[in-house]
Amino acid sequence: MFSISSYFSVEYLLMLLPACVFCYLILPKTARRFSLLLFSWAFFWAVSGKLIVYLLVSIVLVYVFGLWLGSLLEKQKQALASCEKGKKKAIRARFQKKMLWVVVPGVLLHIGILLIVKYTPFFADNLNSLLRILHIPAAVKPLSLAAPIGISFYTLQAASYLIDVYHQKIPADRNILRIALYMSFFPQIMEGPICRYTDTASTLWEAPRIRWENFIRGSERILYGLMKKTVGADRLNLLIKNVFDGYAANGGYTAYDGFVIALAALCYTIQLYMDFSGTMDVVIGTGEIFGILMPENFKRPFFSRTISEFWTRWHITLGTWFKDYLFYPISMSKPMKRLTSRARKRFGNHYGPLFSGGIALLCVWFCNGLWHGSGWHYIVFGLYHFVLILTGSLILPLSIRLAEKLHISRDHWLYHFLQIFRTFVLVCFGELIFRAKSLGEAAGMLKKIGTAFTFASLKDGSLFTFGMNQKDYLILFVLLGLILVISLLQERGVKIREAIAGKGLVIHYLAIWALILFIIIFGAYGQGYLPVNPIYAEF
Amino acid sequence: MEELYEILEEMQPEIDFHKETALIDDHLLDSLTVLSLISELEDAFDITIPAVEIIPQNFNSAEAMWELIQRLADE
Repeated sequence: MFSISSYFSVEYLLMLLPACVFCYLILPKTARRFSLLLFSWAFFWAVSGKLIVYLLVSIVLVYVFGLWLGSLLEKQKQALASCEKGKKKAIRARFQKKMLWVVVPGVLLHIGILLIVKYTPFFADNLNSLLRILHIPAAVKPLSLAAPIGISFYTLQAASYLIDVYHQKIPADRNILRIALYMSFFPQIMEGPICRYTDTASTLWEAPRIRWENFIRGSERILYGLMKKTVGADRLNLLIKNVFDGYAANGGYTAYDGFVIALAALCYTIQLYMDFSGTMDVVIGTGEIFGILMPENFKRPFFSRTISEFWTRWHITLGTWFKDYLFYPISMSKPMKRLTSRARKRFGNHYGPLFSGGIALLCVWFCNGLWHGSGWHYIVFGLYHFVLILTGSLILPLSIRLAEKLHISRDHWLYHFLQIFRTFVLVCFGELIFRAKSLGEAAGMLKKIGTAFTFASLKDGSLFTFGMNQKDYLILFVLLGLILVISLLQERGVKIREAIAGKGLVIHYLAIWALILFIIIFGAYGQGYLPVNPIYAEF
Repeated sequence: MEELYEILEEMQPEIDFHKETALIDDHLLDSLTVLSLISELEDAFDITIPAVEIIPQNFNSAEAMWELIQRLADE
C-alpha cells in the first residue's frame, strides 16, 4: 500500500507533491480546491490509514458547533435590533451565556478526544501507581488507541476556530468543505504550523493559480529545508541515538562520560532545530508553490537573549496559541484582574502582575509540556521553562541595578552575546530533559554532566567512534557556518531568496544547483546512516 | 492621550512611545508588562478590557491603545 513517513520522503517529494501540482495546474479554478482537499485526505490516508475517521469527525464537529454559535449570534443580532436601548446589555449577557454553553462543550469534545487517544495509557499508569502506593488491590487496564497523525495540531486549529467564532472575530463558516480544507491541508496537517482560520481558509478556498515565481520560491524553500534535514538532522542522529537510546546491555547513557552526554544534548538541540525548522521550510515552501502563505514557526531562535524571547522565536504558532487561548483568558479573568490590581498597588508595576501572570504561566507551561507528550519528563520540561521565565522576570530589576552599579552597559554587544550564550545553554539542558526516555534518565544524565565531565574521549579519539566521525563533524561545522551566515543576514533584514534572484538568472540557477549538489554530496543517507523520524509529528 | 503617554512612559521609560508602532510585534512589551498596563488603563480610564481585545493591533502603538480606550469607553 502507498504510505508516507515524512515530508522528506521520496513518496511525498517525488510522488504526492508533483502529482498534486500537476492536477492543480490542469484543473479549472473551481476544481482546484477540491483537488487540494482530495490530496490532503490521500496524504492523511497514506500516513494514518483508517484513522482518517478522527479527522473527519473533527471537521463535522467544528462545522456543527460553529453553525450553532453562528445561529445564536444571528438571534442575538435580531434581539438587539428590536429592543430598547437600556436592555441591550442584558440581552448580550443572556446570549453570551448561551454561547458559552456551546463553545465550551465544542472545545472540550476536541480536547477530550485528544486526551483519550493520546494520554489514556499515561493517566492509567499514574493511576495504577497511585493505587499501588495506597495499597489498594485494584488496577486500571489502559485503553491502547492508535493516534492519527497531527491530532495535536488540528485539535488546536479546531479549538481556535470555535473560540474565534464565539468572540465574533470571524463569522461561522456555512461551507463544510472550506472548513475541511482549513483543517486538512496536507503540508501542515502533520507538524503545523498551527494556522488560524484567518491565516489560510479563504486563500485555500480561492485556490489561486500557480505562478512560476511562486513555484521557484517554494521549491527553493523546500530545498533549504531538505538540506537542514539530510545534511544536519540525519547526520546527528547516530550519536544522539547511541547516547540517549543506548542499549541497556551496553550500560545505556552510563557508558558515556559527562562531556559526551553534554555534547549529545547540544547535538539534540541542533537536531531538533534542523528537523523541525527544516520541516517547516518544506511545509511553508509547499504552501508557497500553491500561493498559500502560512505563518512562520521559527525566527532564528538561537539569537534569543532570554528564555521568554526564545519562545517567541521557536514554535511560534504554538506559543501564540497558548498565549491567546490560555494565558490571557486566565490572567484576564475577573478574579485574576482583581489580584493584579491589588498586587500592583502593593508591589508595583513590575512585581504586581507576576502573581496572576505567574498562575497563568504555570497553566500554560504545564499544558505546553503535556501537549508535547505523555510522560512526566515532558511536564518537567514545561515546568522547567516556567521556572526560567518567572525567575527571569523576578530578577530583571535586580540585574538592571547590578549592571548600573558595576557600570556595565546592557546594550554592549558582549553583554548581548553572553545573554545569548546563557539562553542557549539553558535551552540545551531543557532539551536533554525533553529527549531523555524518562525523568530518572534525565536526572542521571545531568548528574553525570556535573560529576563526570572529562575530555578523555576527545583526547583518545574515542569520541569519533560514537556515531559521528571527523568527516561528519567537519560537514556539520560547514553546514552550521552556512546557516549562521544566512541567519545573521536575515536578522539584518536581508531577504536571501530575493537577493540571490536579483543577481541575475545565471547566478540564481547556479545557487539552486549548488544547493542540490550540496544535499546530494553531503546528505547523511544510505548505508551507515539512520534518518531521524519526524520528531514533532509524534507529539 | 497625554494621560496615556504619561502612564506608558512611567511604566517603560526606555521606550519612545511617540515613535514605536510595533510594541508587541517587536516584543518591546512582553505578556506580563501587558497585564500591568491593562490593569493601569482600566483603573485610569474606568474601562474593562476583555481578553479578546488583547491582540497586537490594539497594543502595537500608543495611538492604537488610545483608539481601543475610546472605543471601550463608548460601549
